[in-house]
Amino acid sequence: MYKSLVVFINYIFFFASVAGAQVLNTSNGQINFRSDAPLELIKANTNEMRGKLDVGKKLFAFTAKINSFKGFNSPLQREHFNENYMESQLFPDASFSGKIIEDLDLTKDGTYTVRAKGKLMLHGIVQERIIKTELKVNKGTVSFKANFTVLLSEHNIPIPKVVHEKLASEIKVEVKADLVS
Amino acid sequence: MFKIKFVLILFTGFLSCTALAQDTTDLMSQLEQEVSKDDKNNTNITTATFKTTRLVNGHTVENVGKGVLDFKISHRFGKVNGGGYDLFGLDNATMRMGFDYGITNRFMVGIGRSTFEKTYDAFFKIKLLRQSTGNKKMPLTVSYVPTIALKTLKSLEPDSKDYFSSRLFFTHQLIIGSKLSEQTSFQLMPTYSHRNLVTLVTEPNDLIAIGIGGRQKLSKRVSLNAEYYYQLPEYKLANTTNALSVGFDIETGGHVFQLHLTNSQGMSERTFITETTGKWDKGDIFFGFNISRVFTIGKRG
Repeated sequence: MYKSLVVFINYIFFFASVAGAQVLNTSNGQINFRSDAPLELIKANTNEMRGKLDVGKKLFAFTAKINSFKGFNSPLQREHFNENYMESQLFPDASFSGKIIEDLDLTKDGTYTVRAKGKLMLHGIVQERIIKTELKVNKGTVSFKANFTVLLSEHNIPIPKVVHEKLASEIKVEVKADLVS
Repeated sequence: MFKIKFVLILFTGFLSCTALAQDTTDLMSQLEQEVSKDDKNNTNITTATFKTTRLVNGHTVENVGKGVLDFKISHRFGKVNGGGYDLFGLDNATMRMGFDYGITNRFMVGIGRSTFEKTYDAFFKIKLLRQSTGNKKMPLTVSYVPTIALKTLKSLEPDSKDYFSSRLFFTHQLIIGSKLSEQTSFQLMPTYSHRNLVTLVTEPNDLIAIGIGGRQKLSKRVSLNAEYYYQLPEYKLANTTNALSVGFDIETGGHVFQLHLTNSQGMSERTFITETTGKWDKGDIFFGFNISRVFTIGKRG
């Protein structure tokens, strides 16, 4: 009687811990951003975003190297992006980590729209954000896509007067990734 | 007996559960560990050692990027000690315009024409070593810049035979630079210069100089630059002085504007390194500027 109870309770703990530890990973997530200003359109992207998603706890964390962004209008522009605006030597990474608000089962196949609540760190400044995300669960892998905007002023990135017409104050960002176990 | 066993097994089960749970609560720190592992395996090439390819007169270790055309206009006004009559030199100016083009990120070519003695010049610059951190560590960037200059000013001595080859000048420079910090960069420029024609028998055809230069950023968009070329006494022309220049780099929305003071009026390697005659203490100072406009021709960066 005791023995079976012990075994049963241990099973519960064991499965709880395994379920809780179900973490999916990506190392080639994509981030695209665009700055649409009257005189210049600037686009850049990276496909080196790393991330983790805990399916059971619905926790997530993503990070990308600022100097991995490519596709600027000129090599000089990329240099200035790193040196003067993002200061990637001082703040090498951007990250977003937090929890999915909705109560849903991420092990069940389907398409969901969720809100990801967490801390967005950019240029060393953390902002609490809720980002609407489309999730697709398919046979244990999770794909997602999210669009949001970043206000440069919220992350202490000033726009010099001379480039006012060339740099938007609001940057459009798109993030995509496939997370696998 | 059963009770103890029960408690023990329950406890270990509970422990394993919390241990795993703790691992998952801090996804971010796991991720950071992976990233720092990545950083160790990747090689990061240092960028922006200097703001542009020229320090004041001479080259820096920087190249223009692949597919980038850089149109440069440089001015040196007359001597500041010319007084109010010449508006402190602003009445007289020499000018060089040039095109630099990046064939790859490590190899660039350039041509230019200077009003000073109606000189054409051409060069290439190749990065032999690149400063990097991470997996492959390299403390220095080393570039090699050979320059050829053709003086087309009509000969002042119409009686002597005017060979094409006597109008040619060759300069070879090794540029050894290092970005010491975000703000401070430093470089050494050993230089060898050869002229086919000298005016006196006693003058050497081969001249040797060593340059030192650096920059200190004053703000994100402004840096203070200085360069000095020391000519070896046995390998210099008579009555020439060593070129000393100080200037500012000012970044204005993607372009770099350079303002400077120098004791040299020439802008090609052989003129400012080997033919400078101005003396700072006598007020033979030339005010000048370089402006550049960058066009991206090739694929986007």
